[in-house]
Amino acid sequence: MAVFDTPEEAFGVLRPVCVQLTKTQTVENVEHLQTRLQAVSDSALQELQQYILFPLRFTLKTPGPKRERLIQSVVECLTFVLSSTCVKEQELLQELFSELSACLYSPSSQKPAAVSEELKLAVIQGLSTLMHSAYGDIILTFYEPSILPRLGFAISLLLGLAEQEKSKQIKIAALKCLQVLLLQCDCQDHPRSLDELEQKQLGDLFASFLPGISTALTRVITGDFKQGHSIVVSSLKIFYKTVSFIMADEQLKRISKVHAKPAVEHRVAELMVHREADWVKNTGDKLTILIKKIIECVSVHPHWKVRLELVELVEDLLLKCSQSLVECAGPLLKALVGLVNDESSEVQAQCNKVLRHFADQRVVVGSKALADILSESLHSLATSLPRLMNSQDDQGKFSTLSLLLGYLKLLGPKINFVLNSLAHLQRLSKALIQVLELDVADIKIVEERRWNSDDLNASPKTSATQPWNHIQRRYFHFFTDERIFMLLRQVCQLLGYYGNLYLLVDHFMELYRQSVVYRKQAAMILNELVTGAAGLEVENLHEKHIKTNPEELREIVTSILEEYTSQENWYLVTYLETEEMGEELMMEHPGLQAITSGEHTCQVTSFLAFSKPSPTICSMNSNIWQICIQLEGIGQFAYALGKDFCLLLMSVLYPVMEKAGDQTLLISQVATSTMMNICHACGYNSLQHLINQNSDYLVNGISLNLRHLSLHPHTPKVLEVMLRNSDANLLPLVADVVQDVLATLDQFYDKRAASFVSVLHALMAALGEQSVSPKVDENDTHPDVEPPLPLQIQIAMDVMERCIHLLSDKNLQIRLKVLDVLDLCVVVLQSHKNQLLPLAHRAWPSLVHRLTRDAPLAVLRAFKVLRTLGSKCGDFLRSRFCKDVLPKLAGSLVTQAPISARAGPVYSHTLAFKLQLAVLQGLGPLCERLDLGEGDLNKVADACLIYLSAKQPVKLQEAARSVFLHLMKVDPDSTWFLLNELYCPMQFTPPHPSLHPVQLRGASGQQNLYTANVLHLLTELQ
Amino acid sequence: MAAPCPPPPPDPQFVLRGTQSPVHALHFWEGAQAQGHPVLFSGSQSGLVHVWSLQTRRAVTTLDGHGGQCVTWLQMLPQGHQLLSQGRDLKLCLWDLAEGRNAVVDSVRLESVGFCRSSILAGGQPRWMLAVPGKGSDEVQILEMPSKTSVCALKPKADAKLGMPMCLRLWQADCNSRPLLLAGYEDGSVALWDVSEQKVCSHIACHKEPVMDLDFDSQKARGISGSAGKALAVWSLDGQQALQVRGTHELTNPGIAEITIRPDRKILATAGWDHRIRVFHWRTMQPLAVLAFHSAAVQCVAFAADGLLAAGSKDQRISLWSLYPRA
Repeated sequence: MAVFDTPEEAFGVLRPVCVQLTKTQTVENVEHLQTRLQAVSDSALQELQQYILFPLRFTLKTPGPKRERLIQSVVECLTFVLSSTCVKEQELLQELFSELSACLYSPSSQKPAAVSEELKLAVIQGLSTLMHSAYGDIILTFYEPSILPRLGFAISLLLGLAEQEKSKQIKIAALKCLQVLLLQCDCQDHPRSLDELEQKQLGDLFASFLPGISTALTRVITGDFKQGHSIVVSSLKIFYKTVSFIMADEQLKRISKVHAKPAVEHRVAELMVHREADWVKNTGDKLTILIKKIIECVSVHPHWKVRLELVELVEDLLLKCSQSLVECAGPLLKALVGLVNDESSEVQAQCNKVLRHFADQRVVVGSKALADILSESLHSLATSLPRLMNSQDDQGKFSTLSLLLGYLKLLGPKINFVLNSLAHLQRLSKALIQVLELDVADIKIVEERRWNSDDLNASPKTSATQPWNHIQRRYFHFFTDERIFMLLRQVCQLLGYYGNLYLLVDHFMELYRQSVVYRKQAAMILNELVTGAAGLEVENLHEKHIKTNPEELREIVTSILEEYTSQENWYLVTYLETEEMGEELMMEHPGLQAITSGEHTCQVTSFLAFSKPSPTICSMNSNIWQICIQLEGIGQFAYALGKDFCLLLMSVLYPVMEKAGDQTLLISQVATSTMMNICHACGYNSLQHLINQNSDYLVNGISLNLRHLSLHPHTPKVLEVMLRNSDANLLPLVADVVQDVLATLDQFYDKRAASFVSVLHALMAALGEQSVSPKVDENDTHPDVEPPLPLQIQIAMDVMERCIHLLSDKNLQIRLKVLDVLDLCVVVLQSHKNQLLPLAHRAWPSLVHRLTRDAPLAVLRAFKVLRTLGSKCGDFLRSRFCKDVLPKLAGSLVTQAPISARAGPVYSHTLAFKLQLAVLQGLGPLCERLDLGEGDLNKVADACLIYLSAKQPVKLQEAARSVFLHLMKVDPDSTWFLLNELYCPMQFTPPHPSLHPVQLRGASGQQNLYTANVLHLLTELQ
Repeated sequence: MAAPCPPPPPDPQFVLRGTQSPVHALHFWEGAQAQGHPVLFSGSQSGLVHVWSLQTRRAVTTLDGHGGQCVTWLQMLPQGHQLLSQGRDLKLCLWDLAEGRNAVVDSVRLESVGFCRSSILAGGQPRWMLAVPGKGSDEVQILEMPSKTSVCALKPKADAKLGMPMCLRLWQADCNSRPLLLAGYEDGSVALWDVSEQKVCSHIACHKEPVMDLDFDSQKARGISGSAGKALAVWSLDGQQALQVRGTHELTNPGIAEITIRPDRKILATAGWDHRIRVFHWRTMQPLAVLAFHSAAVQCVAFAADGLLAAGSKDQRISLWSLYPRA
């Protein structure tokens, strides 16, 4: 672009236009000059700088009114020259500075002249460019005391523009220019950093402007939010850079007490400031007021970049002026801490960075003053916390708790100073307990029941990154915002992390024990304290902080668990006990079940609770939540301790499993997920694995609890679950506990047979599945000594023994279940006839009773048992059946048949019908299995034949047909004959006339009542 | 309202299962504390010694050194992580358990098939004394260990007719005095032997049935013995080393398999053939508790230094009880 490289050439080109401009000062001439300048190289321009500047400065200096447009073009041209050259003389710099500033000076008023916005912008840019064009250290010589008045003028001019202009562009430019003038420009052009002396001189100089700058900027910063964030951000930046420069502790400590009179004229000397102690104190006080104003306004500024700049402000001022602005430290820290949970992640990140930086530099911990201030703040926050939690809305609570969290983070281990004061610990805990109060009015929780007892087949999910963080959604009295709960948890975790854990756990355990009103909240807090103490959640800002050691943590957890799982805190009333064992339990141990009615703050039912001692919905809900929170706690503890938790399984697994089988859906869900947490934390890959590997602990709990069954009515349930999840390896253990079960059963036949029978059922089902008998070493067997019976055979024998007694229980449900168990016993014992037969013999009378005189359902089940028994020991059974059972059954079928044939449709609802049906359904398969002789088969057939009549109810006909279908398999010929005797569908012509013609009784050809069923059966026979 | 329900019968703190065989001997070892928690040894009829961790309540390992024959006695040596086990295979094994090892380093051949458990007298010194049932049916053999040198055989006078020794307790009043041996005999008597002079100092008949076990409190110079019969006998030793019966305590059911005074000498426990563990105040002999848990004869009882009580039974279980914990 440059055409004229040498000064000579350039001079030749520029001279005419310069002369022209000097003569006639018009916009055109200035533009002319500027056009020519474009073609001149920078080096040539530098040579000719003074020459070119002359006509321009001349134009500005010519007295008399000038057109704005001309001044503007001159300033722009000047700016162009300066942007391409350096100013090498201090004098020129100062003169140009004055001349440019004067362009906006209106002699008539103190305010900036009322000139066009373009001119203002041109001048501002001119000033900026000028300061940037200063060559090397010239810039420093510029800032000598004598410049004070002129600099002051320019600064107030720029502040005025920044504050009062409408144009955003001008405001921004003015602020930029101010930055340049105050040597805060962050562009590359500025030379080395200043040495101490230079800093001090500049500081002395700028100190004069501090009041003006700080107040004006404060006005801008605290102005309307609508003015745009960039203006506030720049103003904030200038504010804190200026303040932190002038008030820097580093500088101030070197200021001598004696004020050396500077060698300047009187007028200037008056402007100079000596930054001695009094001045610092006064200025600090005034600044404190401004800073508080700024913080108050900016910390809630809607734009995140503004809040981000506030974080920078706090960092800068706290790092550089912690002594001179000591009064500000409190508000500054509070501002910082309050932004820790800012909604903007950038602000959060910066906050945390600054906090970390402070911690690294030990700004707080290392400085007693700051730590004291923070402790003081925490003290006062703790004091007002209960009131704030009571009165604030969700948003208010959120910021208050954010603040609390920030203090805790910043103070780190030093929070113990506050916690050690009992009064403050009490305030803090009161507030936490109060705000964490649950809303337990939800009726669904009590009502939702778990009906089916499915197997525990879930495997632990590993997808969650922080599984200890997943807890059941709950509802609180005093807030709805989920974020508040998260904050509360973080607060508790930080307390656990930095605080004296023994002290805190003691304190909250005390509250837990004190009243049911606090219990749930205290448990939630305890859970989080431990999580925090393990450092799972906490981002440590204090490198040197040592976590609670694992041994201690385990001790603490053990003591909490003891409390959680104690009789009075674990076995709470969660439903109205109408089930079998309920009332008896309540009568025996009236004090054991902690019914919390009356004490609970539940408006809806409190009257009821007061007038009636029965547990209300609310207190049951509350109990459910308490159990759930404790269960969740156990899961959290497992994560906190990791593998170390394995050592606690001996005492914890049993109670948790008990709850996994709870009838209340919520409890059983939470307990199951607690078990998964345990799996995850202790390294088991499934619940089965967990149960299997720890069956010895479970068995211990089961066996001890069986001793006090009335206190632990759910023990059989746990055993049942364990049995369902155990494999053959556990047989010895199972055998051991089965002895206890049977002993207890023998003691409680009348009261708890139901729950025991279901355990026996689970037991026999498990044994049946694993019926592979353990191998007997051949070499070990002595010919004369009987080898000991396999364990499962011994168990099955013991169980069958009990079944014999229970077969005649007065409760039908129990009899049914016992018949099922008996069936399973027979299966397990099938290979040991020597053991099975004597037992079967003893069971026989009872069994006959079931078959002949029991309810239809029992008759059916008894038939099933007979069938199983028949397939294992048919000979044994055949004669007994034919002698003891068959005549009775056949007899009753025959006598009952005419009645059912005449009966109307209501008959099918009668017991008699159901019995007929059961016998007919049972007979067929049994006859087939027992391989009955001809005579007995005939007895069966005769009794059933009448039920093939179309007069009988359809269901009985069907059942009778099924009997004959089975009989056909045993003896097809005689069955065929029998049927044809009833009805013969065709004539049988002998193949040879010499043979006697067959005469069947049914061959009359006439249709009768039996035709349909007989035809049906005969087609089956072909 | 109903009267307040009586406190439920005490329960074991926990129960160890898995020996799969009747338990005949128990012994605590606190020395393992360096590796975590105290350990309990149990000897079973099937010849195995189970090593139980009281922290995890699980068997850590098993020692198999008696060829399937019942283990009747277990004793740690005060030094060197060494365990003695006596079996019905007529062998006394010395196990090295240091640093996780479990090997038999030495063994002593026994001459008698009887029920008599052995006894040791060991201080800090490398040499220690061992009393075992001897070759003759009424003899007690004294050995110097670890050299296995026979010191002497204590044989009652031919006309005494004491029968077999049933239980032994070596002791000395202080480390400089002469070693003494208390022995309970088949005829129901207890004898005090001076080992170095090989003579009976004193002899009392305190039971009608064979003495099954005895324990001795050397500080109070008082001992207690239990027999196959229905009585416990308390006896004391005067300055002239003469035994005197102080009293007897009637039991509801006969048969005491083992009797052990707690290390702090405040209480004692007996293992009963009637499936029960009985706890007495040692000074007053006041009965404190009858612990019913086992479903077969209790064959052994042992105390840990911290007061934990363990009982082993024919029902294959070992129950652990925390009773009257010491302040």
